[in-house]
Amino acid sequence: MSMFKDIPVEVGVIFEGERIRRNDMQVELGGPKVDQKFEIAKVKPMDQIEDGKVVIVGPDLKDLKEGGEYPLGILIEAAGAQLDPGLEGVIERRLHGYLNYIEGFMHLNQRYDIQIRLGKKSFQKGLNTFEIIGKVLYRLFKNELPIIEKLQITFITDISKIGSLYTDALASYEARDAKARGLKDNEVPEFYGCVLCQSFAPSHVCVITPQRYSNCGAISWHDGKASASIDPKGPIFAIPRGDVINEEKGEFSGVNEAAKKRSMGEVTKVWLYTAFDHPHTSCGCFEAVTFYIPEVDGFGIVHRTFKGVTVNGLPFSTLADSTAGGRQIDGFHGMSLEYMRSSKFFAADGGWNRVVWVPKEVKEKVKDFIPKDIIGKIATEDDAKGIDDLKTFLKEKNHPIVAKWTTEEAPATEAETEATPVMTASTLPISAGGFKIILTDAKIYASKVVIKKDESKTEKR
Amino acid sequence: MTAKNLHIKIDEMKTNSGLIKNLELSIGKVVNENYNEPMGPTPMPSVTTLRDWDLTLLNKYKPFYMPDCDLCCLCTFGKCDLTAGKRGACGLDIAAQSSRIVALACSIGAACHSAHSRHLVHHLIEKYGRRYPLDVGGLNIKVEAPITRLVTGIKPETLGDLDDVLAYVEEQITQILAAAHTGQEANALDFESKAFHVGMCDHIGMEVGDIAQISVFNYPKADPEAPLVKLGIGSVDRTKPVIMCIGHNVVPSVGIIDYAKEQKVDESLEIVGLCCTAHDMTRYYTRGRIVGPISWELRFIRAGLADVVVLDEQCIRTDVADEAAKVNAPVIAASEKNCVGFKNRTNDPTDAIVDDLVSGKVLGVLILDPDKVGEVAVRVAMKVAPMRKRKNVLPTVEEVIAAAKTCTQCKQCQRNCPQDYAVPAALKDAAAGDLSKLTDLYEYCIGCGRCEQACPQKIVIHSLIVKAGEKAMYCEDNLCRSGRGAVSDVEIRSVGGPIVLGEIPGIVALVGCSNYPKGGKDVYDIAREFASRRYIVALSGCSAMAAGSYRNSEGKTIYEEFPGGFEAGGVLNVGSCVANSHIAGAAIKVANIFAKRNLRGNYEEIADYIHNRLGAVGLAWGAYSQKAAAIGAGFWRLGVPVIVGPHGSKYRRMLLGRKDVPENWNVIDARTGETVNVGPSPEHLFNVAETKEECIVQIAKLVIRPNDTWKGRAGKLSHYIDLHKRYMGVMPDDIHLYIRTPADIPITMKDEIQKILEEHNWKETTIPDPTLLPRMVRKMKE
Repeated sequence: MSMFKDIPVEVGVIFEGERIRRNDMQVELGGPKVDQKFEIAKVKPMDQIEDGKVVIVGPDLKDLKEGGEYPLGILIEAAGAQLDPGLEGVIERRLHGYLNYIEGFMHLNQRYDIQIRLGKKSFQKGLNTFEIIGKVLYRLFKNELPIIEKLQITFITDISKIGSLYTDALASYEARDAKARGLKDNEVPEFYGCVLCQSFAPSHVCVITPQRYSNCGAISWHDGKASASIDPKGPIFAIPRGDVINEEKGEFSGVNEAAKKRSMGEVTKVWLYTAFDHPHTSCGCFEAVTFYIPEVDGFGIVHRTFKGVTVNGLPFSTLADSTAGGRQIDGFHGMSLEYMRSSKFFAADGGWNRVVWVPKEVKEKVKDFIPKDIIGKIATEDDAKGIDDLKTFLKEKNHPIVAKWTTEEAPATEAETEATPVMTASTLPISAGGFKIILTDAKIYASKVVIKKDESKTEKR
Repeated sequence: MTAKNLHIKIDEMKTNSGLIKNLELSIGKVVNENYNEPMGPTPMPSVTTLRDWDLTLLNKYKPFYMPDCDLCCLCTFGKCDLTAGKRGACGLDIAAQSSRIVALACSIGAACHSAHSRHLVHHLIEKYGRRYPLDVGGLNIKVEAPITRLVTGIKPETLGDLDDVLAYVEEQITQILAAAHTGQEANALDFESKAFHVGMCDHIGMEVGDIAQISVFNYPKADPEAPLVKLGIGSVDRTKPVIMCIGHNVVPSVGIIDYAKEQKVDESLEIVGLCCTAHDMTRYYTRGRIVGPISWELRFIRAGLADVVVLDEQCIRTDVADEAAKVNAPVIAASEKNCVGFKNRTNDPTDAIVDDLVSGKVLGVLILDPDKVGEVAVRVAMKVAPMRKRKNVLPTVEEVIAAAKTCTQCKQCQRNCPQDYAVPAALKDAAAGDLSKLTDLYEYCIGCGRCEQACPQKIVIHSLIVKAGEKAMYCEDNLCRSGRGAVSDVEIRSVGGPIVLGEIPGIVALVGCSNYPKGGKDVYDIAREFASRRYIVALSGCSAMAAGSYRNSEGKTIYEEFPGGFEAGGVLNVGSCVANSHIAGAAIKVANIFAKRNLRGNYEEIADYIHNRLGAVGLAWGAYSQKAAAIGAGFWRLGVPVIVGPHGSKYRRMLLGRKDVPENWNVIDARTGETVNVGPSPEHLFNVAETKEECIVQIAKLVIRPNDTWKGRAGKLSHYIDLHKRYMGVMPDDIHLYIRTPADIPITMKDEIQKILEEHNWKETTIPDPTLLPRMVRKMKE
């Protein structure tokens, strides 16, 4: 406890799941009943902030009436030689965890949507000023992110001042999002690799680029950059991009080398922008799977929580099983939902023009990122339950893939399934009529074994 | 699908290349093979196939013997005194004798589950046919029988397929039982390995039974939102006739429920269950009631609440018939394994049986046809209930006081109480008119009745306790989530990220019986502690009932307070004893889902994966039975640590790791082939916790694994340290053994821990891709 011995309540990861009910709360800050609330991190020049300073603008916790709801703004200003504004989001998102570490302090949501409750018990123990909250945040930030050299924290509750800051914050979020989405793979010198999943999937390596989130959807390029700069030897590490080998497919020499090294040579070539030939590997916890549908030469996508079967008759669990475990499977790709918002989303395969089926829940989530002229041409579970339905739908809507169908039907090339031996034996003697035939290492193959029910011996049902 | 005994005969066949005359071809079995996973090295392992793996574990976690009995009286040479290093007439020493008893107990347990499953499978095949398809979770489950696939290499698709699986299990149990004969196995560690083997088979037996009943009876299928069902004596409508089913095999209960529904009398009846039958009954029929665990038998019957008592199998008091007779409640025995001395009336006309039971001409009957049990039980209950008028044998308060006055304070009751409760003090107060201490005992009492047996004054102590606790008893109106069965593949995928990122610190399974040192509240407290900390909490059997029997400050039961999914802070009831297989099954599926490891006949590799990677711990806080021993043994072989409550010390030995011996904690890094010391993770394979507090701290420590990411390790350590400080009052003394890199240090404890590390001269190590199997070392591909 030494780190927080001057703090009147406990601070620890164990309070993360703590809930404070309305009856037990001293005050609520932000929340659905308050219009103006925000938390924002800003990277500042070294000389513009004072390290360790906590500023309170407006009434402090002890001045707020018990049981009331109040506006709140939290401004985190950080400076450091290695810090750049790209890391603001990373710093800001730490707030949720840190604030929840404080006993009797509950933080929900993020950005302009925050809801914070201070519990009565902790208030009575002395947690009655933002000064203390600031101290805790300061120590946690400095401890976990040594690249922050200076940190100043401001709490704003003054109704007359919060309005303009709130408007500024909204503009900053928007600018940051636009910039993050605008950042291109070919504009950065390094990507990041993540092998956290190797604890369960020992040969999987995630490659995280500005235009490709981690498969789990939890780590962006900026997150990767922050982690790698804090702990360069850790499981999230920099991958120098190296030479561009194939711009269209997304092949980079640095990525190939990292994948080879970290997968023990299992994977030697990774194409980041395609689901074919050398697609990115899939771990186990990806948010969605893209699967090739040969009958229509297009992609289906299914997310983890989709109930029921997809258009090709298989549920998520089966499709996921086809690609999981750190393998590269031609035509299958485990991915994050965020990747669907990227302009490099299967760019080499035609991007959204190659997608023919997605669950409507996914479509709704990413609709702003699907080109307007194609969105209505992609089927959902409401439009197509099977491949025949799908073909009809695509033709009806004149999906661009239809133009690629050369002849009247889609290029359905059903893969020859490898025959499995129905009988194998190292030595199989057959004796008949005085002869003894010995079959050694015989395997008798049959493409199909039909076992028919013997009607004369129908079992009791 | 498989077919048996094909016979082809060709009398004469002419072809260009030759002539065949009188060719006969007999094939024992044709397998329609659509299971394309390659067969691993050990399908259907024999007793010694996995012995090397067992010895690897047993050398890491050496048995620490604590004989509960140091005599052997199994053969006529005995009794042999095995104290102080002496050997018996057969040459066996106390270590081997103790392990032998463990192996025997596990065999009994495995036989119990497997025989239960065998009965279910026989019965269901007879009724629904061999080709009835298995379905445990529809589209969300790809691996329907992970244990069966892993051990036997069989992928069962129909009821008929389960036949072959059980045949394997039955043979293995026989082999292990044979090894326990006098003059067979000589070595303690080999007996341990045999216990592991039969424990593994037990898990298959359980899995077979549960997937069969889930499929046919259409139980909740891997459903996180399985319905909430009523739990507790107070939830039973005492104005209606009550049929009480005790045991573990749901088949007779299904007969009762079906008949009652068919006759449209189910709404005018209460069909209630005790022990696992209650779980399985409510998975089938949500109007059923769970009365409580095994320890509720005597109180329910003595309070006169049962109008008819139906017994199936396992964990049934063998004096139930005598107890029921005292309150004029007829008994129907419905299992070959427990005939209670009753006449077999299976083939008699139903009317005659009903008449005999209603008139009291016979106290009980044996009926081995579940449909007939259903009809007889329902008809008898309807007729008997108005006649019995809830006859009970509970004394009045005056009688309690009068009986207490006859107590001589000899303290035999306390001495015989498994929990050492202060019964004499409670009786002393009662004699003076103050029943409060007796009332307190009601909450803690496990209902074994040994106090009464010991009392020289013949005081019916248990009845006194129940009377004193009567008010509390009728307030027992809580909720249990109906057993959900398996964990779906999709749920496992969803927790991969949170586990790796440290948001879910671990998985705790609270399983087993109700021999609690101080009531079931401990189980509730432990489950709630970990659910609140966002561990995944799985429950089954009596523990699932205990956890549902209490409410939080908002009046919610644990199943209402927390979600029922396999997720952070989820509290899931998998179901009855046999549903424990789903907990092991989920662990096995992790290896398949995340690492794409083949399961089929690939036991050793998967156990190695689970042991080194999956932060799961089992807790059997009130374990009492041989079945619990077998379940534990199945987890040991998978390398999953198991903790038992204080009575678990009677399982004769612990499997303890030695954190003071660093070389015991070496693993191989599969990436490099190098040896890496990973510290005591997990520290023990089987150990006793004496108190709830100690148990909670143990759980937090035993979820630590060598593969933990630094985020995962930091999270686990935060909880371990916090719980240790909270319950033991101090910082744990072994933190330095669990920090591998500075990133492992929980950020809120940095200063404090860095100081400890300096004191211990700590050195940074690496996080390996851990394995105990040299063959798993991967070569860099060129």
